[in-house]
Amino acid sequence: MFDALFQSGWGAYAMMLFMLIPFLCIFFYVVIRKSIIDPSPSTADKKSFKKFEYLWMGLVVFVFVTVNVASIQFMPTVITANAAASDENIFDVDVSAVSWSYDISEQTLEVGRPIRFSAKSEDTMHSFAVYHPDGRMLFTMMLMPKMDGPTSLIYTFKDPGTYTVRCLEYCGLSHHDMRDELTLVASN
Amino acid sequence: MLAATKILRGTPLFGRMFGIDQNDGLEEINSWPNLMIVTSFVWLAVAGLIGLSMPLIQRFELDSDLYYLALTAHGAALAFPFGFQLMVGVGLHRNGGCSGKAVTGTLPALIYIFMNVGSALLTVAILMGFSVSLVVMYPLPVVGVETGQWSYSSLVLGFTGIGLVLIMMILLYPIQVLKMSFFGKERDDLTLNKRTLDDPGMLGMVVAALVLLVFGMPLLIVASYVLVSLYGIIPFEAITFFLEPVIFQFAFFVFAHNLMEAMAIMVISAVYGTLPLYLADGTRELYSKKLANLAIWILLITSFSSFLHHFITLFPNMPSALAYHGHIMSWGTGIGSALSIFTILATIWKHGLRMNPGVLTVLMGFALYVLDGSSAIVTSNVAWSFQLHGTMWQSGHTMTVLISMSMLWMGVLYHHYPVMTGRKLDDTLGYWWVGLFTVGAAGAALVMLAGGAAGMPRRHADWAQDGWMIYGDWTLFFGFVMAAGLFVYALNLFKSRWIDDTAFSPSAQPGPAE
Ligand SMILES: [Cu+2]
Repeated sequence: MFDALFQSGWGAYAMMLFMLIPFLCIFFYVVIRKSIIDPSPSTADKKSFKKFEYLWMGLVVFVFVTVNVASIQFMPTVITANAAASDENIFDVDVSAVSWSYDISEQTLEVGRPIRFSAKSEDTMHSFAVYHPDGRMLFTMMLMPKMDGPTSLIYTFKDPGTYTVRCLEYCGLSHHDMRDELTLVASN
Repeated sequence: MLAATKILRGTPLFGRMFGIDQNDGLEEINSWPNLMIVTSFVWLAVAGLIGLSMPLIQRFELDSDLYYLALTAHGAALAFPFGFQLMVGVGLHRNGGCSGKAVTGTLPALIYIFMNVGSALLTVAILMGFSVSLVVMYPLPVVGVETGQWSYSSLVLGFTGIGLVLIMMILLYPIQVLKMSFFGKERDDLTLNKRTLDDPGMLGMVVAALVLLVFGMPLLIVASYVLVSLYGIIPFEAITFFLEPVIFQFAFFVFAHNLMEAMAIMVISAVYGTLPLYLADGTRELYSKKLANLAIWILLITSFSSFLHHFITLFPNMPSALAYHGHIMSWGTGIGSALSIFTILATIWKHGLRMNPGVLTVLMGFALYVLDGSSAIVTSNVAWSFQLHGTMWQSGHTMTVLISMSMLWMGVLYHHYPVMTGRKLDDTLGYWWVGLFTVGAAGAALVMLAGGAAGMPRRHADWAQDGWMIYGDWTLFFGFVMAAGLFVYALNLFKSRWIDDTAFSPSAQPGPAE
């Protein structure tokens, strides 16, 4: 049930609204009620304030913990570690980024097979972001020059099609032209 | 007459908005702060127009170089000479009135000069083509010279400007705050409302100064070495450690992130200081000082290491354990904010609220701050970070955190204005400002976050590439609404009337005396 929530930017947007909207309702209710409708001091005793304090903080902690625990299985770091530990046959793709293009060792890839992208930058900060044909960004990898090892992630594609690769770290005057493609084909 | 007062007198238009009343005996806590605030608004006017030009450049498919130039200039002007300078101006006036110390002497003058000369040098460098974006993207400034994108002299000039601004933010300003808070003679004639360190309205100010001093120091050291070698005083080979991208990047974000947190801590403490003055029953007390202080401490403790969330997608070059730490600490700041929310609402509920455009500005700024906070913690989650990092979501977040804090300061400023200038503002215009600006800022934030959710890249000169122009168009629309709000705010300052001399004294004023 959490798939949609944690696997697209719109899921993140929904989560933001899920926290924001109840806050705004309570916030405007309190402000309007106690400034325009009836600004007189509250007769509520200390105990009922305390009760609300614990209720509010309890609710916040509950939401925070639930959301973040549920997100663990969708973390690319966790997925990568699990895939690396399994006996699955991982396909390696090496990427080298330079202003303003990529050198990708294999651009036609198989759906359903875990692919390990290992990417390095040759000059300045770049990223390697893969976009689904439907426009969603699936993941981005930050590439910092002069690191010992590559930035690396294991990802398993579900749908065949043409995926766009983009650089999402500003890297100079032709940054927006730093693009490439991956072709995903059904496995045989 | 203080030098700052003279400069204000000689400044057309803006000087009218923040003239100094020399008969109220408060020139020593008003003059430099007023000059800083005026200057910050000049930068805001410039930065705002550049901001509006950005979606227009995209819409009319003008030169992409021009877009990156506007992007760099807009961000740099908004974050430092506007946002930070406004905070310093209002903050130093508050500090003076709370501690009874004058804001005079060499240090405030140096703060003013370093901030504005530094920003001006950076702006000149940007006009020369130094388009490195707000966050410098090191080693891009150097690589850009090597690849002929901009000149070596623009790099040296730009870094010199940044250096001056950093010295001001990391050294001069914190020293001024600490000096006023702990040293020097306290004067009754300058004390508007005595506050001590156990007061949340004062605690935040001192904590924020310490945060800047401590967490800015690594960057100041790295930047100094880089600057000295750019001047050719020491060879680059001697400082290879500091030229490592990873060293510079981490030093930069330890500072940049904690700068934002320090500003947030300061502004929350200003809210804690201002809100009680507008309570309907006149108690002038927060629901709980202890809870308010606890929120500030939680913000402090969780925020300093949450900067690691900037590097989550660097995995495994940044170990995942550090990514998880940044993730958890970021949500921890949410706990601090939840406590702030409770304290503020419980205070209003308990004592009632005396509505006024100043306090409404503060409250709407706080609502925007919560909007921003929820977007920030979502993108700090490791699962979502990989799908949002580098998108417009981040720009929406950066913009909203700056706007919400600026709005909070502008509310606090609205409140202090009568004491700072001896003049009063028009409430009707005040309400129009809050309404327009809130709608504009919230609209722009939600649109930019939506752009990010749709995968729209930030700092990207080709929105037509995948149908992202629509988010740009709506951002432009809400940008105009914000601009209208700011215009009304400026108009209000410009039209302000003198408070009748006989009626005026800090103690007789219901609100303005802090
Ligand atoms: Cu790039």
